[in-house]
Amino acid sequence: MGARRWVPYLLLGPGVAWLLIFFAIPMGYMAILSLSEGTLGRGFDLTWNFAIYPEVIGQYGELFLRSIFYALMTTLITLLIGYPMAYTIAFRGGRFKNVLLLIVVLPFFVSFVIRTLNWRMVLSDNGLVFGTLKDLGVLDPAFHFLATPASVIFGLTYNFLPFMILPLYVALEKIDRRLIEAAGDLYAARGSAFWRVTFMLSLPGVVAGSLLTFIPAVGDFINAEIIGAGNPDSIMIGNVIQFKFLNSNDYPAAAALAFVLVIGTMLLVAIYTRAVGAERLTE
Amino acid sequence: MSDQRSRIEIAIERALRQDRISRRNFLGQTAKGGVALGALMTLPGLIAACSPSGSGSVTLEWLNWPAYIDIDEESAPNPTNYPSINAFIAQTGIGVNYNEGLLDNADFYHQVQPDLSNGNKTGWDLVTPGGWVVQRMADLDYLEPLDHSKLPNWTANAADWAKGNWYDPENTHSAWWQGGTTGIAYDPALTERELTKFDDLLDPAFAGRVGAFSDMRDMFGLTLLSLGVEPANATIDDVTAAQQKLVTANDAGQFRGYYDNSYYDALAAGDLVASVAWSGDITQMRLADNPNVQFIIPEDGGMRWSDNMAIAKGSTEHIDETHQLIDYWYSLDAAVLLSEYIGYFSGVAGVKDRILEDASAARDAGDNETADYLEAIAPVVEPSEDQLANTYPDKQMSEDEDQQWSDLFLEVLGG
Repeated sequence: MGARRWVPYLLLGPGVAWLLIFFAIPMGYMAILSLSEGTLGRGFDLTWNFAIYPEVIGQYGELFLRSIFYALMTTLITLLIGYPMAYTIAFRGGRFKNVLLLIVVLPFFVSFVIRTLNWRMVLSDNGLVFGTLKDLGVLDPAFHFLATPASVIFGLTYNFLPFMILPLYVALEKIDRRLIEAAGDLYAARGSAFWRVTFMLSLPGVVAGSLLTFIPAVGDFINAEIIGAGNPDSIMIGNVIQFKFLNSNDYPAAAALAFVLVIGTMLLVAIYTRAVGAERLTE
Repeated sequence: MSDQRSRIEIAIERALRQDRISRRNFLGQTAKGGVALGALMTLPGLIAACSPSGSGSVTLEWLNWPAYIDIDEESAPNPTNYPSINAFIAQTGIGVNYNEGLLDNADFYHQVQPDLSNGNKTGWDLVTPGGWVVQRMADLDYLEPLDHSKLPNWTANAADWAKGNWYDPENTHSAWWQGGTTGIAYDPALTERELTKFDDLLDPAFAGRVGAFSDMRDMFGLTLLSLGVEPANATIDDVTAAQQKLVTANDAGQFRGYYDNSYYDALAAGDLVASVAWSGDITQMRLADNPNVQFIIPEDGGMRWSDNMAIAKGSTEHIDETHQLIDYWYSLDAAVLLSEYIGYFSGVAGVKDRILEDASAARDAGDNETADYLEAIAPVVEPSEDQLANTYPDKQMSEDEDQQWSDLFLEVLGG
C-alpha cells in the first residue's frame, strides 16, 4: 500500500528532472552570473552586484520597449491573418482540412535560414515585389523595405504564423456546430453569433496562439539581423544580449538582460492571461 | 551582427560564396537564380562536410573556415574532395579530416575557451583563427609553440607579409594561412562619382544606401583611419571619437545596416551603392555577379587581416604530423593549387608569378577562359607594395580594452 503513494511522484520524476537539469539549474547559474563581476579570462566572481539590473534596464529600456512593440504587432498581425485562415480550414475545409493544414506548415519543412534568405532576395529594392511595383510606377524608385522596422515585424510575422494558426484551428475545430445553429434559432444575427459563440469558444486558441507567438518573438534576434540587416533603428533586445555574450564577453550584463527579458515577459503574460482568464488555456 | 548569427546561415552564405569561387561554372552567369540554385546544390555538401578523408593510421582533425579550400568541382554537389589535401594524404599517408566549422572568430574562441581554461582537449589537431584570437590564446598559454625545425618549407618560402605580424611577432605559435584587406566597394554607375576615402561613404547623396560592417575591428579600424589614427595606436578617446562619427552617420540615416557577409548580395543587387567590403569578395563579385563593382583601399587607409594555423594546447598527440600539415602549405605547389582556387593573400612567396606562368601556359594551349580567370586572380593572391603601405593591422588589445571597445561599438549598432 505504501508503495502506491509514491507512484505519482515516480511518474513526475522524469519531468521534474528535466526541468531541474535544463531549466532550474541553468537559470540559477545565470542568476549568479548576472550578480558577478570579472572577465572571461580572469573568471567571474560573485559580488552580489545587484546594481547591474537598474543599470541594464536604464541603458536598454528603449530596446526592451521596442522588442515588446515588435512582438505585440507580430501577435496582432498573425492573429488577423491567422484567424480567418484557421476559421476557413476548420469550418469550410471539409475533406481538404488535412491538406490545407499541411499547406500551412509546408514552408516550414524547409530550413528557416533558406526561407529567410529567399525573402531577402524577393524583397530586395529591385527584386520581384518592389522592383515590379517600381516599374509600374506604384512606388517611388527610392523606396526600400529591407533593413526597416517594418521588415523586421514582417519577418517575425512570417516565421511565427503557424504557431498562431495551429492552436486556433484546434480550438475552432472542436466547437460544437449545434451551438452556432442554436444561436441562430434564438435570433442572433450572424455577426453576433460569431462574436458571442464562435469567437468566445475559440478564445483558448487565441490565448495559446498569442503566447506561442509573442514569447519567442520578443526575444528574437535573427529577423533583425537577416531581414533587418543590422539596421541600428531596427535591432531588438535579443541582438544586444547576443552581442554582450559573444562580443563584449560581458556575461553578467548579458545574463542580467536575459533575466529582465524573462521576468518582463512573464509579467506581461500574467497580465494577459489574467485579463482573458487563465482557465481558458486549459479549457 | 555577423558575429552572432546562426551558424547554419553563415555556412550557407559561405557556401554561396563557395559557388562563386567555383567560377568556371559561373563565368558569364549573372542571374540571381543561379546563385540561389547554387546554395541549394551546396547544402548536401554542407551536411556531408564532415566526412573523413584519408586512410592513414593518424587522422588529423582540422577546423577551418568554409570556402577556404580548393574543391574538385567534378565531385559537386558533394564537394568534399579537396585536391590539395588529397595530395598531402598521398605524400605523407597522414589522414586529414577537414571541417569547415569555423564560422566566426568570437564564436570559435567561446567554443574552445572553457575546455582550454580547464586543460581539456578541444578535439582539433589544427585550428585556423584570425590574428586577435591567436594573440589572445597565446597570451593565455592556450597554444602549443611551433617547432620551426620541423617547418623547412615555412622557413624557406614564407612571404615577408606572412611573418612577424603583430599578433605573433616571432611566429612562435602560428603560421599564416590566408589573408586579405578590408576597404570600400562601390558601383560607379550608381554613385555617379569616384570614391577614394572613407568619408566618401558619408556623402549625404548616398544616405540609406551605404553598407557598414558588423565587425567591430574592421569598422572601427576604417573609421579611426579616416580620423588620422592608426588603429594599433588608438586610445579609448580615439575610439570614442570614431564611435561618435558613426553614431552621427546613423542619426543621418547614412548606413542602411551593419552587415555581415550579406552585404555581398545587397551590393551585387544594387540595393547598396557602396559598402565597406572585403577584397576577396569583390574579386569574386566582379567575376560572377556584378562586373561594375570596384574595390578600393581608402586613401586614408584600409585594414589588413589574416587567418592563421595554430595548435591548441594539449589537444593533439600528433604534434609532428600537424607540423607536417602546416609545412605542406608552404610548398609552392600546394600554395599555388590552393590560391588558384580561393584567391586570398597566400603566405607563400612566388605564388603570383607561378599563377601568371600557368595563365600563359593555358593561353598557349588555347584555353582562354582559364587564362583569363588566372590573370584575374593572380593580382589578388599577394598584397601589392601599395596595399601593404596603406593597410593597417588590428590593435593588440587586452580583454578589458576589448570589452570597452565592444561596448562602444554596441552603441553604434543601435544598442
